[in-house]
Amino acid sequence: MGYLCIGLTLLYGISGLLVNHTSHDFNPSYTITTQKGRVSPLASGKSPDMSYVNQCLEELSITAQFKNVAVLTPGTIRIFVEGNTIDVTTATGETVEEKIARRPILFGLNYLHLNKGKGAWTWIADIYALALCLLALTGVLMIRGKRRRRALFLTTIGFLCPLLYLILLP
Amino acid sequence: MKKQSLFLLILFFISATSCFGAMKLGAPLTLQEVTKVSEINKHPEQYKGKRVLIEGLVVNVCAARGCWMDIASDVPFEQIKVKVVDGEIVFPLEAKGQMAKVEGIVQAIHLTEGQARSMAQHQAKESGEQVDLSTIKGPTTFYRIRGLGAEIN
Repeated sequence: MGYLCIGLTLLYGISGLLVNHTSHDFNPSYTITTQKGRVSPLASGKSPDMSYVNQCLEELSITAQFKNVAVLTPGTIRIFVEGNTIDVTTATGETVEEKIARRPILFGLNYLHLNKGKGAWTWIADIYALALCLLALTGVLMIRGKRRRRALFLTTIGFLCPLLYLILLP
Repeated sequence: MKKQSLFLLILFFISATSCFGAMKLGAPLTLQEVTKVSEINKHPEQYKGKRVLIEGLVVNVCAARGCWMDIASDVPFEQIKVKVVDGEIVFPLEAKGQMAKVEGIVQAIHLTEGQARSMAQHQAKESGEQVDLSTIKGPTTFYRIRGLGAEIN
């Protein structure tokens, strides 16, 4: 059973490290990069239309597939293309691109760790969790012989670590 | 054997990472009638606590955890926020620019002046935009939808 758990333990371990550090500056599944730029401003009095959207994409050399466009405020449009969102301030022509890309392999690891797919993976993850419990319990039964004291000491630390954290938590 | 295992592993990751077609997230949609976002924004107290189905363009998604998204209204310059319990539903960043149907409960969120400022600061940090906190005065109430299920096309 220990061998069966190696792959999944690594999956959950690596993904766990990444997911622990999720913040507004770090997404463990995607790389997000922003880039400022400039396009021709929209002539005053004109409303943004598809020809202006196409002009913006052309000036920014964006060839990714067009998805949609939204007028967020009277002076800002948001253009959506595959893997990129472009905010254009129409009066000045200032642009902010936000490019997203899935992190290779890590996206998959996090997808499974966070069980985003649900369904069959829920069963696999449940079986793995039960297997881990079984490994831990049978591990306790193996504490005997010369190294008994050391093993008990380390096992106690393993229990105390989360317990103390919860007790000392402000 | 080693090659076969490697192949299976690669296949496993590819299948795990490419399972987005028309995405169905959370609970299945049960309502048939779509309520306009503009209607909810116009008369939020009428809809408070009610289960609604809305439809619109996804204009923003939480970049950190995928725990909220903004849906554009049917009238210009308006949006509504859909918030889900962290982890219950995770909106993928790829949803931006796609049409979504979302079912959920309309919620009223009451904030004190301090809470409203903290929230504005938090949102500004998320979006990388500047916020003038002095413009936030007194307690405020905003309305959002607690998302239960969604379909993103």
